[in-house]
Amino acid sequence: MASVQFKGIVKKFKDNLVLNGVDVDIKDHEFVVIVGPSGCGKTTLLRMLAGLEEITDGEISIDGLRVNELHPSKRQIAMVFQDYALYPHMTVEENMSFALRLRKTDKAEIAARVDEAASILQLKKFLKRMPKQLSGGQRQRVAIGRAIVRKPKVFLFDEPLSNLDAKLREEMRVEIAKLYQRLNATIIYVTHDQVEAMTLAGRIVIMNHGIVQQVGSPIEVYRKPANLFVAGFIGSPTMNFLHGRLSLEGETLFFSNGDIKLSIPPYLLSDAKKHDGREVAVGVRPDDVLVGRDGEKCSDKVEGVLEVCELLGHRENLYIKVGETRLQATVEAFFDRSPGSAVQLCFNYRNMHVFDKATERRISE
Amino acid sequence: MEILRSIYEVAWFILLIAAGVAALVGYLYTHFRYYDRGWFAGVALAGYPVLALAGLRAAGLQLPSAAAWLFFASALIYVFFRYAVKGRHTVPYLLLAPAFVGLALLLVYPFVFEVYLSFHDLKLTTIMGWKNTGYLPFVGLEQYVKVFTTSPLSEVSFWALLGRTLLWTFSNVFFHVVGGFALALLLNNAIRFKGAYRTLLVIPWAMPQVVAVLAMRGEFHSQNGFVNIFINKLLAVFPFLASLGVAPVQWLSDYPLLTCTIINVWLGIPFMMVVILGGLQSISSSYYDAADIDGASYLQKLRFITLPLIKPVLMPAVTLGTVWTFNNINVIYLVTGQSGGTEQADILVSALYKAAFTYNRYSYSAAFAIVVFALLFFISVTYLHGFDAAKEER
Amino acid sequence: MTEKEAILRKKQLRYLLIHAAVIAAAVVCVYPLLRIFSVSLRPGDKLFSTDLSLIPDGATLSAYASLLKDTMFLRWLWNSLLITLATSFIGVSLASTAAYAFSRFRFPGKKAGLILLLSSQMIPAGMLILPLFLMIMKLKLMNTYLGMIIAYSVSSLPFSIWILKGYYDTIPRSLEEAALVDGTSQVGAFWRIILPLSTPALSIAFLFNFTTAWNEYLVARVVLFSSSQYTWTLGLFELQGQYITQWGMFAAGSMLVTIPVLAVFLYSSKWLISGLTLGSVKG
Repeated sequence: MASVQFKGIVKKFKDNLVLNGVDVDIKDHEFVVIVGPSGCGKTTLLRMLAGLEEITDGEISIDGLRVNELHPSKRQIAMVFQDYALYPHMTVEENMSFALRLRKTDKAEIAARVDEAASILQLKKFLKRMPKQLSGGQRQRVAIGRAIVRKPKVFLFDEPLSNLDAKLREEMRVEIAKLYQRLNATIIYVTHDQVEAMTLAGRIVIMNHGIVQQVGSPIEVYRKPANLFVAGFIGSPTMNFLHGRLSLEGETLFFSNGDIKLSIPPYLLSDAKKHDGREVAVGVRPDDVLVGRDGEKCSDKVEGVLEVCELLGHRENLYIKVGETRLQATVEAFFDRSPGSAVQLCFNYRNMHVFDKATERRISE
Repeated sequence: MEILRSIYEVAWFILLIAAGVAALVGYLYTHFRYYDRGWFAGVALAGYPVLALAGLRAAGLQLPSAAAWLFFASALIYVFFRYAVKGRHTVPYLLLAPAFVGLALLLVYPFVFEVYLSFHDLKLTTIMGWKNTGYLPFVGLEQYVKVFTTSPLSEVSFWALLGRTLLWTFSNVFFHVVGGFALALLLNNAIRFKGAYRTLLVIPWAMPQVVAVLAMRGEFHSQNGFVNIFINKLLAVFPFLASLGVAPVQWLSDYPLLTCTIINVWLGIPFMMVVILGGLQSISSSYYDAADIDGASYLQKLRFITLPLIKPVLMPAVTLGTVWTFNNINVIYLVTGQSGGTEQADILVSALYKAAFTYNRYSYSAAFAIVVFALLFFISVTYLHGFDAAKEER
Repeated sequence: MTEKEAILRKKQLRYLLIHAAVIAAAVVCVYPLLRIFSVSLRPGDKLFSTDLSLIPDGATLSAYASLLKDTMFLRWLWNSLLITLATSFIGVSLASTAAYAFSRFRFPGKKAGLILLLSSQMIPAGMLILPLFLMIMKLKLMNTYLGMIIAYSVSSLPFSIWILKGYYDTIPRSLEEAALVDGTSQVGAFWRIILPLSTPALSIAFLFNFTTAWNEYLVARVVLFSSSQYTWTLGLFELQGQYITQWGMFAAGSMLVTIPVLAVFLYSSKWLISGLTLGSVKG
């Protein structure tokens, strides 16, 4: 198993800058998920590590060895592709053993390794079948099995679950988590689905526009998003943002956007004077918008109108309009109010985030 | 014994060609690999042609000028890869090399040779001198002027031929598409024996063209052909038809072009049918369901759903069909050519073939061919341009 | 109830009409072939009768017998077969690699190459015969198999490349990438993954090469001059039109060359159709 370093990686397609100076260190045995919206360069980064894409500038090393010019097969990596890329003219067994056969590995050894991988992934029944005769989930397993058989230093997953339906995706997510515990390998996993990122990752790398936005554990990026993009990308439902201005009234800092006026407690922004007059965005997750019973205790109450309720089962999404500002709140079911009625709400200040409008960076503690 | 010998012969040829391809690829490989080494320029310019020449001589070819040509080619390759390629695109060029060397030798070189011929005067009276001394009188554009002013055969002019060719091409392609469309629409229904029908309907396309054309020609024979026999039988049963002007016709001598057109339409419909049927089957039935709900009639569905959706399949096939029909020498030559008879059915390409090989006017036919090629190129470019524009629209 | 019956009746009528139209078309398509068949069975004295029945009176196989006995028909078939197989083999192998380069790589000259391929389709058939003839004469290959093979080898190349390129384009790139990661070279990936997957398209290209060379006669007329080297097309020409008796042999020979080609063609027609539409839509 191995560590992976990206140093100042740049990728250009003609004049189009896809990656702009990516630096990430991945430690041995780590499960790293690279997440971002489509077109952010995450797949390109992975393909550069695999050796399928030329590196315009920068250096990639595996276990301290620079691999920029190394042929993909010499990098001791294995990759699971988005469309699985199973060779349609080979059986499951042949698919899994192809790399070993190319390396002229001993036949008994090949059989043993294929057998081991097949039993881990419960594929033993299907070894003689062609990929066409398998379901989506089974193909996915074969693709993973093909990677396991090679005993690589690093596993690369390129959006492996995006072609599966919702239920299978959940199952496979758990499978992959179990597999990680079992193999204890270095895994780099690319996805656009932040749920996969949150549930699987040891560390998350969030990318946008070819730049790494934040690297951290799932809890870190959820609790302390480094900038507006990360705050909006991680977490479901999406965070509410209130755009407005800070002003100092006496000793207390107030946020106002015309509809809502909030006092900002010192544990969010400690040096109140410094922030007077600053344009900011205040972020509050729907869970932290308190309505109804939860909201009765707090002091700064805001009056709003309930627009739509969505019942999810145990939770309920509320869409509330305060003046011209729209907010989403998530509360326990059942919130027994009809659309159009007036509601009172307040915010959980502990989990509030303040971002500078100009730099989009987090300025709260 | 004889058969064994010929198998041996052909196997040997294939081996020879494989060896040639291998040598070519090997040569290019070293070229790509070492092109930037200091010593390589000299070796490439001198060594490879020597090797290739030795190979050619060993194969029994003694061409004195081959050395010069090889040297020249080698220098050209060297310069191209040194300054234009710079080692970045090794793999694709290696993959392309065998095919394009073949094309260059057997397609581009003959083409260039024809251009050369068209500016000189090669005919029966000059060919012996050319063979012995290598001298050909240079005549400049004279042959091109002749193309437009004199007849390639004995009576028809270039302009008449051009008009006839356009008429021939247009009417053929039109009936191919209409007939193919009609049959494809019929077959696209959920009917029984669909597979069997389709099999029978593609037979004209599947038959060897020589056989098909000669067989059809037989059917148009004035006495023994099916068409006239059928007309006679019809007249025997319904005598009043004769008063309407229905009578057996001397198809081959009186209406040769019409006969050729009928035969070629018969030959060409299956191809269009197959292409259109493929396109029809790829149209999702949900469009038709939606149109049914909107209350479209059969014709409206045809006009607003089938036609627009079939266009991307149809347009390339029509372009190709136009080019093929324009260049179709088989039908006309087989129907009218051999009996040495009529010129009434000749189109540009068949006149071209006859000018070269019946009248032995080689240079004239070369100029003629280039004019025809230019014409066709112009037509297809316009076609494809229109197709691209249509693509943009969608 | 009656309304339902009326609708059913209308539907049946519709299907009846469709069947009638298709059968009529099929008869037009097949009839000439049947006529050759009937002519080939006629006894020598009734060749030019106006009889339209399929199996003529006094049907005999004598035309077939004399074709095989008195002419070199088998030899002609054999010549055609050898030349055609060799040409198709060379043509398909050259096309397969070239099409791969066009489908998967970007390189300077790609567009020019594709345009060259397209425009080569517009060269009139008669144009290249003379230079080819002179070339083959200079190489002292007149009247030989090799001369014919050389003359034919690239004639279907542009179309084959076009079809194969269209097919390669539909094979996902990730397959080759997986093979690269598994340890093949780029060319190895082509050899081990793409070629085995392209068998349908390769068969179509082969079939296309085969039929083109099998039916060719313009070049053959110029290159071949001794009747023992003739291809069947030239041989049939020789039978056709000179003497009355040979019309029957011509028909018999036509039947013999048509039936195997027809069988192969109809067997592969499903592939052919998918290949043609793929090529034209995605090309």
